[in-house]
Amino acid sequence: MVTEKRRKPRDYTSVEAILSAFAGRPFKYIMITLSLLLVLFPLYWLTTSAFKLPQEYLAYPPVIVPSALTTESFTEIFTRDRVLTYFGNSMIISIVTTALTTLFGSMAAYAVVRGPLGKRARSIFGIWFLVQKMYPAIATAIPVYLVMRTLGLMDTQMALIIMNTSFNLPLVIWLMMGFFEQTPYSLEESAMLDGCGFMGRFFRIILPMTKPGLIASAILTFNATWNEFLFAVILSIKRSKTLPVVIAGFITDRGLAWGPMAATALVTLIPVIILTWIVQKDFVNGLAMGAVKG
Amino acid sequence: MNKYRNSDKLATWLFLAPTLIYLGITALLPLLYSLYLSFFRMKLNLPNQVPRFIGLDNYARILSDKLLHTSTWNTLLFTVVSVSLEVVLGMMVAMVICSNKRWARNVTSILMIPMVMAPVAVGTLWRMMFDSTTGIINYLLSFVGIPGINWLSDPTMAMVSVIFVNVWQLTPWVTIICAAGLKALPGDCMQAALVDGATPGYIFRKIVLPLMKPVLVIVLMIRFIDGFKVFDTVYVMTNGGPGTATEMLPNYIYKQGLRFFDAGYAASLAIVFVLLMSVLSMGFLKWRKSEEEKVW
Repeated sequence: MVTEKRRKPRDYTSVEAILSAFAGRPFKYIMITLSLLLVLFPLYWLTTSAFKLPQEYLAYPPVIVPSALTTESFTEIFTRDRVLTYFGNSMIISIVTTALTTLFGSMAAYAVVRGPLGKRARSIFGIWFLVQKMYPAIATAIPVYLVMRTLGLMDTQMALIIMNTSFNLPLVIWLMMGFFEQTPYSLEESAMLDGCGFMGRFFRIILPMTKPGLIASAILTFNATWNEFLFAVILSIKRSKTLPVVIAGFITDRGLAWGPMAATALVTLIPVIILTWIVQKDFVNGLAMGAVKG
Repeated sequence: MNKYRNSDKLATWLFLAPTLIYLGITALLPLLYSLYLSFFRMKLNLPNQVPRFIGLDNYARILSDKLLHTSTWNTLLFTVVSVSLEVVLGMMVAMVICSNKRWARNVTSILMIPMVMAPVAVGTLWRMMFDSTTGIINYLLSFVGIPGINWLSDPTMAMVSVIFVNVWQLTPWVTIICAAGLKALPGDCMQAALVDGATPGYIFRKIVLPLMKPVLVIVLMIRFIDGFKVFDTVYVMTNGGPGTATEMLPNYIYKQGLRFFDAGYAASLAIVFVLLMSVLSMGFLKWRKSEEEKVW
């Protein structure tokens, strides 16, 4: 009996076992099919609309299976709407924001978790970063708009990098605090005895150990910045527009250009899907950790 | 080890410095600037206009602003309905996909797509599908005998649509967090209950739900606070319309400040909004703390 037990690894979870012990099966399959259908059908619609001929994406009754596929909409957005430029903007802004946020955020988190701060300072910082994470971005929109206008930073990538870094820092700090708290302090103590300074301990011992945390922070920041709309629409006029601003522009400026609009949305969606799938495990972990932490 | 203490202290503050300075300048100062502006009358569209001090007039205006009251009510309705649906549906889906097996990972990969999609793209996609004349939704509904619905131009249906889209995009988030929580539940007490002949409904109510409560409280808190901040999808789907049927607080503040260029009034609205959110967050944090103490 003992070996029997050992041969069965925990490849099922307890809730799963309970559910499958009862008449959970049909319920399970119905739920899964339904939710997959609900998620996939709109995505199918988005993809086919992007590849449909103009007379088909505007047709009524709607064409469910397109008679022919064309890249006309893509040609249009890349030539007429200069989507490649805006793709570049989104990319530069997201990459720089991610780098800055992950570096400064993990440094601050490490200082709060392991630095020789008093207990009170520690909890004050903790609460500050938590509150910062919750408060609404719209609250600072008008002053930020005024300041950026005065500083001549309107319509620059710099302005968006500055603001996105500000929004994502508190989240990354909270996430990384969770990861740092899980590392064993004894490792640092022995490093200290060997004469390893604060910086050395952080960069050489702790950071390599918390790589999943860094990846989770990076992907969450990248996605948030890539998709950010409020400040992108406020602070950009023409040159620094990001993809979400271009998509919203289709509604206000072009009316029923569903094909090009779907194509732009698809171009916006694909990089984040690929990135998220590559690091899915760390992404899910990071989400769960972020939620449990605060 | 004492000789390291001083250099550690210095390094700690050096590590904190970039973030503290950064957040001070980009988050705290603008908030203080908002507070300052809220006591002034300032129109952004008039060149060389000097802000005029008007004391609490902006705040007095808040009390009598009918449209603001509508937006507040809409935001509350939107948040409560969509968050409730997301938590219930998210938990239900989490129950069936909380498995470590390969199929569960693959299903998760697909379910997470709406969540990583730009809200603006989600809004436009559904706007296209909800279109009352050429949209696919009305076409599909016609097969089951439901006549064309004016999804985005009927006041009630516009709110339903905006809620639906939010639920579509964010239920997966709830699912992923809940599934992570469910996977971590201890199996032995459930097995024991099962052996003792407890029904699944009983196990769910008496074991799964109480153990999941701390996770659910946090999910509820994060979703509720985020719900109040909804902007992107509303902006592209209805922009608050038809009329004021889906006007929400962030969109309203945005319009006051950057459409009607009334910076002073928008600032006072922002301050009230922040206060409201702070009260809400503090309440949630207190609740969460009491839940945590109960469990541990």
